[in-house]
Amino acid sequence: MTRPGSYFSGSNDHGLSRRGFLGATAAGAATFAADTRLDGFKSEALAAELRKQNKNVILLWLAGGASQFETFDPKPGRPTGGPYRAIPTNATGVHISELLPRIAARMQHTAIIRSLYTKVTDHGGGATLMETGRRPAPGFSYPDIGAVVARELGRIDSQVPDYVSMYTSTEGRRKGTSGFLGARYSPMFLAENMVPENIRRLETISDIDHRDRAALRDVLAKRFNQTHQSSTVASQTTAYHRVRGIMASEKLFDIEQEPEAMRQKYGPLQFGQQCLIARRLIEAGVPFVKVARAWWDSHGQNFETHRELCADLDQAMSALLDDLAERGLLENTLVITLGEFGRTPNINASLGRDHFANAWSCSLSGCGIRGGVAYGRTDEDGHNVADGPVKAGDLFATILSALGIDPESEYYLGSRPLPLADFGSKAVKEVLA
Amino acid sequence: MMPRCAVLFSALAILLPLSLHASELRPADQPIEQVIDHYVDALTKADEVPAASQTGDATLLRRLTLDLAGRIPTAREARAYTESTSASKRVELVDRLLASPDFAFHHRNELEEILLPNRRNDGEFRKYLLWAAEQNRRWDDMFRDMLTGNEDDEYQKAALQFVRTRIRDVDDLTNATSVAFFGVNVSCAKCHDHPLVEDWKQDHFYGLQSFLSRTYVTKQNAVLEKPFGEVKYTTREGVEKQAHFMFLTGANVEVASLELSGDEKKKLEEAIRKAEREDNAPIPEPQGDSARGKLVDVALRDGDNHFFAQNIANRIWQRMLGRGLVDPVDQIHSGNPASHPELLEWLARDLVTHGYDLKRLIRGIALSQTYSRSSEWSSASEPPRPEYFALAPARPLTPRQYALSLLVASRNSTHWDQDALQQPDRWRQERESLENSSNGWAGNFEAPTDGFQIAVDEALLFSNNDRIQNDLLRDSGDRLVGQLKAIEDDQEAINTAFLVINSRQPTDEESSAIREYLAARADNRPEALKQAVWALLTGPELRFNH
Amino acid sequence: MALSDPTKLKKVRDFGVSGIAFCVARTPASGQLYFGHSDFKLYEVDALAEKPEPKAFTAAGHESYVTGVALSGKQIVSGAYDGRLIWWNAESKEVVRTVEKAHELWIRRFATSPDGALVASVADDMLAKVWDVESGKLVFTLKDHQTLTPNNYPSMLYAVAFSPDGKWLATGDKTGHIAIWEVATGKKVGELEAPVMYTWDPRQRRHSIGGIRSLAFSHDSQLLAAGGIGTIGNIDHLGGPSRVEVFDWQKGERKHEIEDSKLQGLVEQIEFDPSGKWLLAAGGDHGGFVTFYDVATGKMIHQDKAPMHVHQFAINEDHTEIFAVGHGRIAHFDFKSDRPAPPAAPPLPESA
Repeated sequence: MTRPGSYFSGSNDHGLSRRGFLGATAAGAATFAADTRLDGFKSEALAAELRKQNKNVILLWLAGGASQFETFDPKPGRPTGGPYRAIPTNATGVHISELLPRIAARMQHTAIIRSLYTKVTDHGGGATLMETGRRPAPGFSYPDIGAVVARELGRIDSQVPDYVSMYTSTEGRRKGTSGFLGARYSPMFLAENMVPENIRRLETISDIDHRDRAALRDVLAKRFNQTHQSSTVASQTTAYHRVRGIMASEKLFDIEQEPEAMRQKYGPLQFGQQCLIARRLIEAGVPFVKVARAWWDSHGQNFETHRELCADLDQAMSALLDDLAERGLLENTLVITLGEFGRTPNINASLGRDHFANAWSCSLSGCGIRGGVAYGRTDEDGHNVADGPVKAGDLFATILSALGIDPESEYYLGSRPLPLADFGSKAVKEVLA
Repeated sequence: MMPRCAVLFSALAILLPLSLHASELRPADQPIEQVIDHYVDALTKADEVPAASQTGDATLLRRLTLDLAGRIPTAREARAYTESTSASKRVELVDRLLASPDFAFHHRNELEEILLPNRRNDGEFRKYLLWAAEQNRRWDDMFRDMLTGNEDDEYQKAALQFVRTRIRDVDDLTNATSVAFFGVNVSCAKCHDHPLVEDWKQDHFYGLQSFLSRTYVTKQNAVLEKPFGEVKYTTREGVEKQAHFMFLTGANVEVASLELSGDEKKKLEEAIRKAEREDNAPIPEPQGDSARGKLVDVALRDGDNHFFAQNIANRIWQRMLGRGLVDPVDQIHSGNPASHPELLEWLARDLVTHGYDLKRLIRGIALSQTYSRSSEWSSASEPPRPEYFALAPARPLTPRQYALSLLVASRNSTHWDQDALQQPDRWRQERESLENSSNGWAGNFEAPTDGFQIAVDEALLFSNNDRIQNDLLRDSGDRLVGQLKAIEDDQEAINTAFLVINSRQPTDEESSAIREYLAARADNRPEALKQAVWALLTGPELRFNH
Repeated sequence: MALSDPTKLKKVRDFGVSGIAFCVARTPASGQLYFGHSDFKLYEVDALAEKPEPKAFTAAGHESYVTGVALSGKQIVSGAYDGRLIWWNAESKEVVRTVEKAHELWIRRFATSPDGALVASVADDMLAKVWDVESGKLVFTLKDHQTLTPNNYPSMLYAVAFSPDGKWLATGDKTGHIAIWEVATGKKVGELEAPVMYTWDPRQRRHSIGGIRSLAFSHDSQLLAAGGIGTIGNIDHLGGPSRVEVFDWQKGERKHEIEDSKLQGLVEQIEFDPSGKWLLAAGGDHGGFVTFYDVATGKMIHQDKAPMHVHQFAINEDHTEIFAVGHGRIAHFDFKSDRPAPPAAPPLPESA
């Protein structure tokens, strides 16, 4: 160990005197990054390869359950179809609701799945199923798609967060869970504010003191870390070494740094602004960003609600796809548009639609996806899947496959193998590029 | 679906009851600590595994205090232990801690994690657990309280929270009961993928569920049972079957059902439904056998009690040594044998013959040489694998331990030194208020799991949250930072900080690093002290039980 | 000639129609109804027939929910969410004239001038348009309502009504804004705000619900009533009080704010009693209601459940019966007084 005395010159000039001290910290960070490897991945080489490709996911989570009739599976003229028209998209033969004109004009990036068959129709159960790709089992805590992607595509020593989850409405708010993957892969959660908690230095401590005390912490922790070699002990060091990087990523949450013209494309609404933040985050290397748009639960006034929320979705999602495409990010970024379930064919007396999970839709755009495709088919009135039922596990497998992750690779819970996508799931090849 | 649980239930039938092995085990009257060391040393010797040496006084005091009191030692306790020259000071310490009010609080907190992990801070249940811990209630009695407690007894009624909070999902209740009390995660048996033994396995899951499925909870929160009701289930092949009242060992149990005419049954069912929904509905009189009572009986019966006894022995072992003899602790089956099977059997037998006295077991472990090995490994060779228990692991503190320890460490240490505070009654009050203050802090930290990873959120919290800065690191006289500020000599301040936070003296290197830091910031010594305290509070020595 | 007595309200009969009936017009002095439907068609039915059998207009017409219908002599005008206006021959049921893109977005409702010469349509393009029934010509386009809500979502223009003297037209939108227009000139002459009708949930669900769904002038044209729904806690449902606000519109004074939490939901239509004693509000949530309020005091006189969410009703010439259409049903209510009408009662103006 270098004598700590050498870190200080004894000068009163803070900026100069402690530079050496900080240099030592950086060296420490590199050492720990190299020391830290997680167990469990079948092929570290494959994982490393994936990480190199900088693949990312943005999940647009339509919380509360958007109607497939008013989005991706319109049934105009049918008793269940509601008042909205279907419009053609720029993909031959694919029509979607007139409420999504901008998305319709960008269908070359997007594959629609119209045959989700997931059966669970309570919000919590549906969300858990769609987030984790499997039904919960007592005694097990499964990671959600964000944690799995963070684990597979993130870097352990990343200087940016690797799973950011935004959910600003309070209804049905869920943070997301890393389950058995552990807190390292828990989302950085933005609930009340557009900026994460504890990301900004307090004014009561100067920047140099903030850095220096962290460096002092490293010096004092060094002996313990050297004599206690475990991934758990190392994770604490990694966590503290990531602090400055994460703090530096605060600017990623600041859309004021975007040109006015860019902000206008995403629109004045919060969902659009959060999509812009999502783009800034993945551009900076964050592998998974979830933007939840709550609350679509239109038991009453379904058509009015979708007029509002689809307008929001149409602008935000189309701006996001354009922006990603223009930056060359779309081929490495998968945009998922999904909720916990769809809505009933039946239109109730409050002109609402209720919970429905037997035949509903989602979309996948960008990375690994064959655009301009509508997979699966519901019957004439949208009561049942007529062709190509897709279960939650199949969707999970499709998402992983699109990212180049083998859905059959396994995690080990102790000695128990668990495939990333649920047993018996199959990726929908038809929507994969 | 869930992870494939390799041959879980095929093993149960051949898992042998305790008595068959009794003659081969170490004598029953040998002290626990000696038996532990015997079996652990035998395996390391046989496999030629190098073992760590015994740890020093300061670390042992810290480890024992965290494991028996759930907090770090105070400076007074640290000084007293290291300065003591008594040959039996370790035994004295263990006995003092086990007798202290701290033990009951800590034991309560640990049991809560096993019994109601997803519903921390259930006030009723915590009240029961503390009551039980304070009188060292037998574990089998606690089991009975939690499953079949008497609604008229204040504490037993609270114990029933175990059932009450899970009544809405009988699968969850079944699995939670099995995991917490028998160390068997039966949820696997709902959808095992071995076609030849699938039915048999489902028999076990639904057999266990049969004992619990009659339970209902009234609007007024009384936990009651219907006098009838059987569990039916469908096999993978679509065959509908009726479950037997069958325990995990395969033991079948007679549970009587009340013979009722169709009308009487309908009437009773209606009355039960009313009682479940309406505040003022009359409560149907309990009649006939209690199915839950029968489950308790069979689980504690000689010849069938090995799951119950081994589970708690294994869990206490895990608490003290960071890993179960069977690991994971909810996977007791022959496909996943214990690292030291005879030791586990011996400990389980000892529990049964000594009235399920958990304190006795904890004391035995605490006094073993196995427990007091060093956690440091500096040799170039690979460290021994954890299942040898040849090297103490660095265990992340539970959220509660970490919160309590931060509160103890950040306080002006002369507070804890007060003579008046050392009286058990006075200390109990102090501990209770510490527990209360720790509630909020504990919520900031994640509970340790297998392969636990500390999240960046925690580091961000310590780095930038104003409660850290304005509460733990406040420089007023009641806080450690304030205390240090008043100490003029840097080295003395450093020594104090180390003793309070890490229960030891600093090394020369550590001292000079901090002295250097203080010197560089001589323009604002209080700030510099605050940062030094921060560096220690966030260090691994406080974060881990080592 | 009969007198009305709201306390005598009773449902005479009701019968099922599949789907949703959104709007209705009635041939004077009969039970002959024309109603617009969720299957994009216009129907004719005799609600007084022993066995009412709705018959669809078979000619190709609308391509979305039919939400506006007016009858003027032998002409029927219909409007729909497809933005199209269609003139029909009431007898032959043939299309006489189609105005494509009469509105860019959904046509929400019609009002017919008392003399039957004009029809006003309101739509989600936030425009009110006044049409000459005879020629089909656009007389005025009335522009006042904002296209976006204060929270930057598309707004909706739900309600329109002529005054009984034919001089004024009122329009009301989702955010609770009301504009009053002079029919002769198309000039805006007044504005009112009923912001409680609009619930914006900024925190829990982050969208909105509500809006002014109905407007009606009193027979002296002095009062203007607006109907909708009060503040809603959980905007997933129409779980808010049905709400009526009554204004002395020329003074800009709000005279009553009436809410009913017993029978909740949207007030979809309002009608004033010619004598000025009561007003009738009908609408619903999952269920429906018909409620009478005292115009002088704003207090409820009487109410009853309707067998369905009522979207619109036609009232008879005496103002003693209504024919209501709505979710899956058509219902005929009667509220005639037991007392005989005084012989010298002046003739009442005919309802549209």
